[in-house]
Amino acid sequence: MSTPLVALATVVALVVAALGGLSTVLRRRTGLAHLVAAGVLEAVLLVQLVVVLVALAGGERPPETATFLAYLVSVVLVPVAGVLWSRTEPTRWAGTVLAVAALVVSVMVWRLLQLWEATGA
Amino acid sequence: MPDRLGAPAAGGDAAGSTARGPGRVLVAVYGTFALAAGARAAVQLATQFDEAPVAYLLSAFSAVVYVVATVGLARGGRTGRRTAAVACVVELVGVLVVGTLSLADRAAFPDATVWSVYGQGYGFVPLALPVLGLLWLRHLAELDRDAEETAPPSPA
Repeated sequence: MSTPLVALATVVALVVAALGGLSTVLRRRTGLAHLVAAGVLEAVLLVQLVVVLVALAGGERPPETATFLAYLVSVVLVPVAGVLWSRTEPTRWAGTVLAVAALVVSVMVWRLLQLWEATGA
Repeated sequence: MPDRLGAPAAGGDAAGSTARGPGRVLVAVYGTFALAAGARAAVQLATQFDEAPVAYLLSAFSAVVYVVATVGLARGGRTGRRTAAVACVVELVGVLVVGTLSLADRAAFPDATVWSVYGQGYGFVPLALPVLGLLWLRHLAELDRDAEETAPPSPA
């Protein structure tokens, strides 16, 4: 896993969160901008997933493998869940729901990196 | 020009519901915690139960409470809200008691739980969440009372 990729995912996630917050402030639902930003976030996370899978296939193992894999799989699903949820929410809080999902991603990627870099006892 | 930032939102800010509007955000956060605490407990119980049984059973318990609160808030209605309120109170007591114990008696908590040190490992969200939940539920109850007072009398 690479820190630049995690940093990139964090920046994109914060953009998604800001867009979500903005539409709530403007009393709007989520729109194309949110979809595109969330799509970019998902793309970055999928790239990260592939990078990690390649490293795992190469024999690298984080010490807490089970926890690491759980984070790895769920972090990819969170933006999808956030978008689906926000699309079904007719009030202005749709954006905030998406923002929450994005913030969760921004925390999860760093936890993932921490789990990856932890050295086994 | 298309609404890139989304179409104007439907009303519902003041709607007294946990199934729509701002209550939805609370449900989202609760759902996240239900998932996080549940996954954590499952991994801990499955792989290293012997190391810190108290901490891991507490993790599992907190996960159950979060699930109950999430379901209660998401379903809404009288029963849903009451369930959510009970879960929020249990949660608040849990995070305060476990938070205090984890500081006072570190030996009993060799490994962290969601509620250790008042939820420090999770940005103190576990401490704020039940308070927000209870405030929101109280807000809903007040809306209900107002609605009842202003409602036209039902025909006899």
